[in-house]
Amino acid sequence: MNNQQAKFILSGYRPGGQDAADAMFGDALSQAAADPVLGAWFAREQAHDRAVAAKLREIVPPAGLREAILAGARVSGAQPAPAARWQSWTPRLAMAAAIVVLIGAGAVAVWPRPMDAAESPLAKFAMLDARETSKHGGHGEEQKDLQADLSNNATHLSGDLPVDFAALAKTGCRTLDLGGKPVLEVCFKRNGKWFHCYVARCDDFPSLPAKQGAQFAENGAMGAATWADGVHRFVVASNTGVSAIRRLL
Amino acid sequence: MSSEAFSQLVDAHYAPLYRFALSLAKNSADAGDLVQQTFFIWATKGHGLRDAGKAKSWLFTTLYREFLRGRRRDTRSTSLEDLPPGETDVAAEEIDRVTQLDAAAVVAALQAVDEIFRAPLTLFYLEDLSYQEIAETLDVPIGTVMSRLSRGKAQLRSVLSTMNERTRKVVPFDGATRRNQA
Repeated sequence: MNNQQAKFILSGYRPGGQDAADAMFGDALSQAAADPVLGAWFAREQAHDRAVAAKLREIVPPAGLREAILAGARVSGAQPAPAARWQSWTPRLAMAAAIVVLIGAGAVAVWPRPMDAAESPLAKFAMLDARETSKHGGHGEEQKDLQADLSNNATHLSGDLPVDFAALAKTGCRTLDLGGKPVLEVCFKRNGKWFHCYVARCDDFPSLPAKQGAQFAENGAMGAATWADGVHRFVVASNTGVSAIRRLL
Repeated sequence: MSSEAFSQLVDAHYAPLYRFALSLAKNSADAGDLVQQTFFIWATKGHGLRDAGKAKSWLFTTLYREFLRGRRRDTRSTSLEDLPPGETDVAAEEIDRVTQLDAAAVVAALQAVDEIFRAPLTLFYLEDLSYQEIAETLDVPIGTVMSRLSRGKAQLRSVLSTMNERTRKVVPFDGATRRNQA
């Protein structure tokens, strides 16, 4: 091994010494100990790496991130149950298991990044939930009717949607819990692509305007549109992006 | 996993994950989103991981994949063979320069490094993962990790050096001119 090869290997040696027992570095470390030129290079390299690593450790996550993570996990409803219990559940109970419980009225499961109006907690909540489609699914005539309307290319979503919130919730529409408030979710397909419509009661979210035109939010590939008609607040989320959602309104 | 165990997992890893995310996403809000999304996925899928010792690698891998999934891929791909060779020697004064900079400036320098080098470089400086774990996290061979570390360090030094030059520039004090005008 020449010094260039040793330098190449030692470039992966962590400055905190965690790799001291790693055999891959053994020969290169021995060579650095025996060769003063290589040794001096390694000492400077390590000092520089230590300085950068120390600076990186000074970066402190923003206040509130930890709490948002813990609340966000609750949105998943993922306190794992024993496997046998999962397997014994009937499909109806399995659907109930998909109901998401958000504990704590203030625990909105979003990272409190700077938001414009479009990035309301509900929109963020919808964009998180829309990623986890394996948990989606509901039933009931009311839901089927709404799903048919949503899937109809002639339906403009920002128009009047036939929503009977109580009937939907009662007859098996997938219901999530956001800060103790129910949010309905119906999946629908347009032009071969899946979208997810979330419906909440305006009265349940008094901090959000009861009447509001469509606004848009985006997080990576996931997009959402949110609007309110005075009675219900809607969010449509999809990984097809905002422009595809915009065409549905 | 109980909520207590989950809290412990979060406490153990959310800070280094955030630092990694910050170097990738380049802003605090997106970094926070990435970290939260990573734990969200853990809560829905990751708890099924049989080897608890792999949780850390799993989290870093998932965060990196989420980052790649979320950002629009750069159409310009850089072939490693096209890249200039890494400068391997550190001048003694460069170490002092780093210590004089504040942490935000060092992170900004890291963010200026090409993405292909930035991910392994940040993981290396976080010191949470070995080169083998970095290779698994980024899904590249170990030799590639070493190569990217070597070149990434060279690029980081170059950026840091430029930053230092900028901060060292003397801005002429115009007080004398003002006095003359008065």
